[in-house]
Amino acid sequence: MFAQTDWPGGHALTVVPPLLGFLAVWWLMPRAKAWPRSAGALLGLAALASGGLTLFQPGTAMVQNLLFGFFALVAIGAAVLMITNRNPLYSALWFVVVTLCVCGLFLLRSAPFLAAASTIVYAGAIIVTFLFLIMLAQQAVGVAAYDQRARQPLAATLSGFLVLGGLLCALRPWVPETAAGRFAATSKTAAATPASQSQAILRVGVSPESSAVRDSDSTGAPAVRQAPSLAASPLSQQRNRPVGTVRGLGRSLFGDYLYAVELAGTLLMVASIGAIAIALRTPRGKV
Amino acid sequence: MMAELHNYLGVGAVLFALGAIGFLTRRNLIVMTLSAELMLQGASLNLVAFSHLHGNYQGQAFAVFIVAVAACEAGVALALFVALYRRKRTLDAGAWRELAEEGLDSGRGVEEPPVAPLLPVHPEFPRLTPAGRVPEVPKRRAGRRV
Repeated sequence: MFAQTDWPGGHALTVVPPLLGFLAVWWLMPRAKAWPRSAGALLGLAALASGGLTLFQPGTAMVQNLLFGFFALVAIGAAVLMITNRNPLYSALWFVVVTLCVCGLFLLRSAPFLAAASTIVYAGAIIVTFLFLIMLAQQAVGVAAYDQRARQPLAATLSGFLVLGGLLCALRPWVPETAAGRFAATSKTAAATPASQSQAILRVGVSPESSAVRDSDSTGAPAVRQAPSLAASPLSQQRNRPVGTVRGLGRSLFGDYLYAVELAGTLLMVASIGAIAIALRTPRGKV
Repeated sequence: MMAELHNYLGVGAVLFALGAIGFLTRRNLIVMTLSAELMLQGASLNLVAFSHLHGNYQGQAFAVFIVAVAACEAGVALALFVALYRRKRTLDAGAWRELAEEGLDSGRGVEEPPVAPLLPVHPEFPRLTPAGRVPEVPKRRAGRRV
């Protein structure tokens, strides 16, 4: 159902943007001497433009496509500026831009709660504390020496873009019809036996002897009762259903993943205790 | 639908690769941590895209856990950086190269002669806001194990 025409121009447009991006990132890496950064900026703009051509698909949902293109390109450009800026203050601010654009992508993928949480946690809490630390540590005028030159810029950029090329090549067979056919086949088999699969998932998730305990346990019972409907997720049967509600996410979190939520809370508490213990100024045992 | 998924996965892969490059090249501890957070963002973008494709909340729930773990990581990393900065007055990751394994040539990329800082760092200059009594900085630092 998806032909090769989803990718206009065939292979060229899939190869050119990463190459241009590689050159741009390598060129923009901080060096000891002054160098013309505008060439790198032009290369980066060319890479973004060609990448936008690759991403652009004339279709029905034009507004969504445009929003996706905007968010994606701004996120990638801001990420490049973040990792190449010589001033860590600006790096942190560019990271805020990346976070906000990724939150926009979350909204487009119908995850409003996650967008709000990421904005609050990343762009709010984490970045503010990091800016606090940067401003504490860098009160001297100018850029610190270790920010002026990168560590192995060519090798690191090359390896990073090799990873990216590998990922993109692995992603590419998703589009043609072979992968689509495979996907449909798996979802068909999954739809054929949803009940048995959900039973299996339930067995794995819950201890086997707990069928009598299940009904009597007041805290565990809702989680277990939710499990068959939510844990069984054959790909075909629930596709295209809107998933954007916070209510559904809350039911999933506090139903299926209740223990994981408790563990995450414990992890947060342990991390805060550890942070206080590490950063404490006074010796141990005294307050 | 599938092509859209491909686009989102591609953007996530690009963010991941850029974060990896930033982690490898930068020498500032804070920028390295931010690059790691960038990689986490790419991964959670993948999860959310798959969640939308499959029509359930599993991917979003995992992304929520990623946010929680990233918050923990940032808090502990910040405390570590404060402690490290108090020891050596620098945020350079290469300043702690002696922690590496013996015989491991880990500093090959940074063998250039060290650049003098632009301004001499005042020994007492950046400090956390003292609350309560005045800490006895020199005596306690001399007595502390290194």
